Amino acid sequence: MILKLENIYKSYSKKPVLKEVSLQLEAGTLTGIVGENGSGKSTLMRIIAGDISANRGKVHKNGKTGYCPQEAILFPEITVQEHFRYFSAAYNIEAEVLNVRVEELLDHFNYRKYYNTRVNNLSGGTRQKLNLSIALLHEPELLILDEPYNGFDWDTYLKFWDYTKDLKEKGCSILVVSHLINEKKKFDRIYKLENGTLK
Amino acid sequence: MNIHRINTSLAMILRMLIRRKIVLILILLIPTVFLSIVEFTSAERVIHFQLASVGDQVFIDMPEKSISFIFFSVASAGFLVSFLALNLIQKNHNANKRLVLCGYHPLELLTSILLVLLLTILFISVYIGLLTIAFTPVDHPVSFTLSLALIGFVYGSYGLAVGSLVKGELEAILLIVLLVNIDVGWLQNPIFYAAAQNQILIEFLPAYFPSQASIVKAFTNYSAVSASLYALLYGMIFLIISMLIFFYKMRTK
Repeated sequence: MILKLENIYKSYSKKPVLKEVSLQLEAGTLTGIVGENGSGKSTLMRIIAGDISANRGKVHKNGKTGYCPQEAILFPEITVQEHFRYFSAAYNIEAEVLNVRVEELLDHFNYRKYYNTRVNNLSGGTRQKLNLSIALLHEPELLILDEPYNGFDWDTYLKFWDYTKDLKEKGCSILVVSHLINEKKKFDRIYKLENGTLK
Repeated sequence: MNIHRINTSLAMILRMLIRRKIVLILILLIPTVFLSIVEFTSAERVIHFQLASVGDQVFIDMPEKSISFIFFSVASAGFLVSFLALNLIQKNHNANKRLVLCGYHPLELLTSILLVLLLTILFISVYIGLLTIAFTPVDHPVSFTLSLALIGFVYGSYGLAVGSLVKGELEAILLIVLLVNIDVGWLQNPIFYAAAQNQILIEFLPAYFPSQASIVKAFTNYSAVSASLYALLYGMIFLIISMLIFFYKMRTK
């Protein structure tokens, strides 16, 4: 078991958003959660990532977690290269390992030419590539992706799915949240978040 | 506490600060404009000014222009450091939170922010100190510069507290400008303070002790140790408040 949610309940201003949500993810699986805008998908992701707390319920995680938030949460004044350096310090990644990981991510998502560009000069799509790369940098065992392909072009979209396929084969458990999932065949299971519960 | 993380964070925060054009523009413009205004507008009449932090009956007689230079250098140091401290703690709140989720301890981030703030205070106090000395002679330049660092510390800590507490950038800037204007810009102004009613109220404001210390060290041989200690105490209170709020907001769930 990589992730186990037990009876997660969350409300904002007494209005319940999540009601007794339970979920279990095993290694090497790709799980999707769909739901309308405002259904509580991002709230659930933030609870799993540890960004916010649930009012009730328990979250159990085993292994390293990678979290790609819906909005690209980055530092506007520093470059792509500096982001890798900064987040590698957070993850405690050795310099040699970091170089290999960065090379791989830059090549796979095709944004090497922006390596020394500051984030405030990047396009929305390239920011999203960096946003995703940060979540992947330390080779997590649990990957939480909130609308991960927002702003991607078709080529990058396909590369994203190639990458998740490789990760899954390596034993990573991937949870993708989106308002729209087209590639249903790629998922082991898809849940619908409706009225605060997973169906 | 991981030293490598603190070093990395320190380097990144410094880069981000230096790369913000508004920061460099404000550092360059504010003290120069403030002191130039004094040069072109202040009168030479002598003001009878009470050094209340030294003693009830201690007065100095100084030209309005000289005393205004000191007062405006204190005001510009206070405003600048407060604004930069606000920037340091508020600007990248969500990205800092992401760093914490990825493994940074809030204490490591806070240590880096405080080190950058300390460097900023040192730089601004030396820069404004030198600029002030170019406009008016000062009796004890080193101690005077240290008193500018004191206002930087008090108002820097205030900026951190406001930045930790208030989410909106505009609201936070308003809170800083408001207090700097009322406290440093008005009530501590020797021209107002010399004849103010209820001076006791003014003595409870954050800029009181640093302002007194700067006037004492600029024009007299009196000791400013007591005023400096009170200023440090005032700054520490703001600093502790800001640290507690920062930890509360940055903790992982």
